[in-house]
Amino acid sequence: MGKIKIKIDYSICGDGNKIDPRDCTICLKICEPAIFLLHPSLKFQKEDDPYDPKIWRVTPVYPSLCTLCMKCVEQCPENAIRIRN
Amino acid sequence: MCDHCLKHGTAGKWYLNAKFYSDELAEELDLKEFLLEQYKTFEAMQVRKFGGFSAVGMGYKRQMPIIGRIVKHTAEKMLHSKKPSRNPFKAEGHIGQVVPLDDAIAILETCIPENSLIMKYCMCRYMHKGEKEACCINFGIMSEIIDKLPRFIPEPEDSKFRLTKEEAIEKFTEFNKKGYIGTIWYGAYPYINNLCACQTPMCAGFRPRTEFGIKSIFKAEYVVENNPNNCQGCKRCITMCQFGAIEFDDKTKRAVIDQSKCYGCGNCLLVCRFEALNLVTRKEIPALAGDY
Ligand code: SF4
Ligand code: SF4
Ligand code: SF4
Ligand code: SF4
Ligand code: SF4
Repeated sequence: MGKIKIKIDYSICGDGNKIDPRDCTICLKICEPAIFLLHPSLKFQKEDDPYDPKIWRVTPVYPSLCTLCMKCVEQCPENAIRIRN
Repeated sequence: MCDHCLKHGTAGKWYLNAKFYSDELAEELDLKEFLLEQYKTFEAMQVRKFGGFSAVGMGYKRQMPIIGRIVKHTAEKMLHSKKPSRNPFKAEGHIGQVVPLDDAIAILETCIPENSLIMKYCMCRYMHKGEKEACCINFGIMSEIIDKLPRFIPEPEDSKFRLTKEEAIEKFTEFNKKGYIGTIWYGAYPYINNLCACQTPMCAGFRPRTEFGIKSIFKAEYVVENNPNNCQGCKRCITMCQFGAIEFDDKTKRAVIDQSKCYGCGNCLLVCRFEALNLVTRKEIPALAGDY
């Protein structure tokens, strides 16, 4: 079996762009094996408030556990998730 | 558990030694700055790289024959480390063990420094599910640290931030009844500061072990035994177990325990109405000797 590749378009969601993933969290909630990780975006750590970071992103941290149910791709309101097998 | 744990603590239980909870120990290890730094970006720990590796794509890394073994070795060395922790961005010396209700109550009653109990939002449920649930009991210098980090502090309708002993015991009992697994954590070794109520698959403490074969947490000092004479086959215990350790035997119409899968959390006991389950000491079961 090939590796599953999951990509999020950070120009849309996260990193201080259009969508703050903390306000959405749809992909996180819908994913049964919980393969996504919501975290302060390290890229912006220097500029961000260290005690209360405001710039977050979602990383598909465990793609090997993905069941390819495709719910995250279908339900992402911004169409920001791509999955390749 | 390890040599250290057998030598210290009550009856071989490292977590029943108040010394490991004391502010003096935290100070001696200089952990205030360290833990504040760690918790400022705690949710990002899994994406940070160390020694060339992060946890991202761990499943695929573990499938590679040589790299897979290196990753396991590196991760376990870090988690089980007994050297003073230097880098707050690494989960060094961050190792825990499952604790059933009675031991958790003993911890809360006898080990926690005065007036330091707090409830914070669980990181794992938030970072992996986007859910804010106040179910992580912390203590000692953690109360000062979390006080500075607003995202962990529960909204009043979710929970009080500062808890009394009685409130903490009541909350923890509630969590166990919901099926959340009690776990106690070094952070960083040998300082103990977290009594968690965990759920798979979100819990970042269990996932490395259950999914990737990395010993990130130890099973409890106990294991469940059943008394088939009392069992009525109601299956309530089966739905409680997060580790698939209980199965229904169609022939006998009874629950059957696979002790090699049991983590000893004790949650199944809490729902059995027929006194068919009880916890026994893991060490006393020869087949499980050393199986932590
Ligand atoms: S396809 Fe399904 S299992 Fe895979 S990441 Fe999306 S929601 Fe999760
Ligand atoms: S569902 Fe889409 S928009 Fe929402 S957090 Fe996930 S990636 Fe971002
Ligand atoms: S270890 Fe358990 S309670 Fe603690 S943060 Fe993780 S899931 Fe939550
Ligand atoms: S069988 Fe073991 S792991 Fe499963 S709920 Fe009971 S005590 Fe916990
Ligand atoms: S809950 Fe008790 S009576 Fe019901 S199946 Fe489990 S062991 Fe048997």
